[in-house]
Amino acid sequence: MSYDEGVIEQLRQLRENYAQQLPGKIAALETAAKECSDRAGVAALRSLAHGLAGSGSTFGFPEVSETARRLEVLVQTVLDEGRRLSAAEAEIIAGYLDALQRAGHKPIPWSAPAMAPKRASSTSATKLVYLVEDDALLANDLALQLVHYGYEIKTFDAPDRFREALTVGVPKAIIMDIVFPEGDLAGVEMATKIAREGYMDVPILFVSVRDDLTARLAAVHAGASGYCLKPLDIPALAATLDDLTAAPSGQPDRVLIVEDTRVLAEHYACTLELAGITARVLTEPMQILAEMNDFRPNLVLMDMYMPGCSGAELAAAIRQLENYNMVPIVFLSTESDTRKQMKAITLGGDDFLVKPIAPDYLVSAVTARLRRYRTLRASVQRDSLTGLLNHAATKDYLARETARAARHAQPFCLAIIDLDHFKAVNDNHGHLAGDRVLKQLADQLKHRLRKSDIVGRVGGEEFAVIVPQTGEPQAKILLEDLCKGFAHTTHRAEAGEFSVTFSCGVAEYRIGESDESLYIRADQALYQAKQAGRNRVVTAR
Amino acid sequence: MPDGSLRKILYVEDEPDIAAVARLSLESIGGFEMLVCGSGKEALGAAPGFAPDLILLDVMMPGMDGPSTLRALRATSGLSAIPIIFMTAKAQTGEVNRYREMGALDVITKPFDPIKLPDTIRDIWAARSR
Repeated sequence: MSYDEGVIEQLRQLRENYAQQLPGKIAALETAAKECSDRAGVAALRSLAHGLAGSGSTFGFPEVSETARRLEVLVQTVLDEGRRLSAAEAEIIAGYLDALQRAGHKPIPWSAPAMAPKRASSTSATKLVYLVEDDALLANDLALQLVHYGYEIKTFDAPDRFREALTVGVPKAIIMDIVFPEGDLAGVEMATKIAREGYMDVPILFVSVRDDLTARLAAVHAGASGYCLKPLDIPALAATLDDLTAAPSGQPDRVLIVEDTRVLAEHYACTLELAGITARVLTEPMQILAEMNDFRPNLVLMDMYMPGCSGAELAAAIRQLENYNMVPIVFLSTESDTRKQMKAITLGGDDFLVKPIAPDYLVSAVTARLRRYRTLRASVQRDSLTGLLNHAATKDYLARETARAARHAQPFCLAIIDLDHFKAVNDNHGHLAGDRVLKQLADQLKHRLRKSDIVGRVGGEEFAVIVPQTGEPQAKILLEDLCKGFAHTTHRAEAGEFSVTFSCGVAEYRIGESDESLYIRADQALYQAKQAGRNRVVTAR
Repeated sequence: MPDGSLRKILYVEDEPDIAAVARLSLESIGGFEMLVCGSGKEALGAAPGFAPDLILLDVMMPGMDGPSTLRALRATSGLSAIPIIFMTAKAQTGEVNRYREMGALDVITKPFDPIKLPDTIRDIWAARSR
């Protein structure tokens, strides 16, 4: 895909037209603000603000968008509550209008196409990764192996050559060696250089034999997103790449805001949403339990004082929920009394943010805690041998998928896989060989399944696969394929080579069914597969 | 599961400046065949002749808004199965979920970056056919 000078020129022209019309649009907004004594007037103000919010950034006026958005949220709240603007709100609106005036004169410099170079890869299925590595053998091997994980690797044997390539197309991620003939930290130095040139949002993963703190620190300074030691553990490297290149649109973080003042709550929500976080507002604290289960937040932002209950007590109640004893709870409060803060933390809160809070501070405070929570949760949810989800996490995902399928009336399938005669493998070849078989199966499941599919190890030799938005016939084909592939895999042990098979039961979700019932049906199908002679896939009825 | 490539896009948008930049973005950068309509009513009239693969709907439009246009399209034979993406400068939390529940394929937040819009749409399209 490419675009030429003509397109750039037309875009510039459109921006210019918009810039010329902008003062007129802001003036119309000011007139509307003066005339909003009735509902129709308020609605007119809302729709003008909506128009600006939705267009400003497109034409190079991000501040216009943000300010108009805040204005719109405030006016929308007034409309929803079916009342008139209060004097205080009118004052805030006047402030927004001033800010709009100023922002309307400051477009961001015209450089958008240069900042967003075209994608080097045309297929969206494979992700392009640049590998900068002078060891040709290693580079070749890595490239071949990563193909199986859905990556397309382009190799450069010298940092300079790689830098030239960046001007043509930008990859999804960069894997960079550290030691080159050019210097012991040449890879890191190149990373620093390209970051200065504006490629900061491409994640860089360093790979090196150097395990010393100097090299690691240098990598951190250069903006490293990861650091893997050689010899490389390929599945681990692929998992890191998966994390780094995961589409941000896939699963945005969810923050639940519990605050009884609607205007304030919407303001926080709006600030977080502008930063790409999904926020939901709860003004009625007594609804919190239902809301937690429905929305499944990754973080709860909570006012300290609300009618009916205190934030601290609410936090204690949340901690009693089995699935939420880890979710970060952050209090927003004007409370400066440290003793009261201590009490809230004892009851289960994690942190305090003191009101009033600046928008950028709120965003950074929340993002930092979300990131820590994600890391923590990932380590608790994973089975250490296979890297798959553990039993509890798998059950949790199953409950979530069941709820989602019920809401959207969409099909999905659950498959339960159990290795055949696994005890004999352990007895004949030893536990180490047995562990390798489990890992091998986990790897094959991970490769062959989609990103949205969920794979867990739910027992010693038992695995569960959740296949969203897929009906039974397709799921059966997929699993039969996996079953055949696994049966043909050769495993090695001291006593010689051997192969292992598995049996599998598949059940398609029935609308209205509970997650337990679905699990039982899949398990019964698995039992039938075993009865019928193993090494096969049986669907539940 | 649906398949097929994405070629023709119908964009329903009442604001002329947004319509112009979207047309430029999707035609010249994205390489799609575009038809832009200024209202839901116009779109209902033009859609059968144009036979788009995908419809982009602005949410807030005077008269017939995005959601009512969606309902009208869904009720029209020959148009009922065309995937729809809402375009919105969303003001309220939960809005996106509501649109998905209405049956929209996805929601694109305005303001959009004209350079990236075609990729965003391709990504959504690719995710749909998996």
